[in-house]
Amino acid sequence: MKEQIFYITSWIFIICIGLAIIRLVLGPRGADRLTALAVISSLILALLVLYGTQEGRLLYLDVALLYDVFGFLGILAIARFFRDRESRDRSL
Amino acid sequence: MMAGVIDSISVIIAFFACMFAIAGTLSLFRFPDCYTRLQASSLASSTAPFTIFLLSLLNAADMASAFRILLIMVFFLVSSPTTTHIISRYAWFYGIIPWIKSGEKP
Repeated sequence: MKEQIFYITSWIFIICIGLAIIRLVLGPRGADRLTALAVISSLILALLVLYGTQEGRLLYLDVALLYDVFGFLGILAIARFFRDRESRDRSL
Repeated sequence: MMAGVIDSISVIIAFFACMFAIAGTLSLFRFPDCYTRLQASSLASSTAPFTIFLLSLLNAADMASAFRILLIMVFFLVSSPTTTHIISRYAWFYGIIPWIKSGEKP
C-alpha cells in the first residue's frame, strides 16, 4: 500500500517536472525561465525527500538539505547575473 | 489499527500533494504574465513540497530522519518565499509591466 502511494506520487511529480522543463525552454523572458526553474528545484527536493523516506536511507535526506540550499543560492546568483548584464547593456 | 490509520491519512495527503503539483504546473501554461505565473506556480513550488514533507514526516522510519525532515522544513519555509521575492523583484526592476485585462483602465 505504502509503496504504491510513493510510486504513483513520484511518477506524477516527474511528469510535472517534464512539463515545467517545456516552460523553461520556451519561456519568452528571463523571469519566466526563473519561475520554471524554481518549480523544478522544489519538485526535485520533494522527490529526494520522498525517495529517502521510502528507502529508509539517511543519505538522501542530507542530499536534499544541500540541494535546498544550493537551489536557493543558484536562483539568487542567476537573478543577480541577469540584472548585472542588463544594467551593463543599458550603460553601453 | 495504528498502521491502517497512518496509511489512510497518507493516501489523503498524497492525493492533495499530487493535486497541488498538477495545478501549479498547469498554471505555468495557463497564465499570461510572469507575475501571475509566479503567484500561481507557488502552489507547485512551495505547497506541494511542504505537503510531501508532512507525508514523509508521518512515514519516517526513525528519529534521525524525522529531525532531518524537520530541518529541511524550517529551511524551506525561509528559502521558498525569498526565492519568489527575488524573482518578482528582478522582473519589476527589469521593467516588465504587469498584465492588464484588455478594456480596463490601469
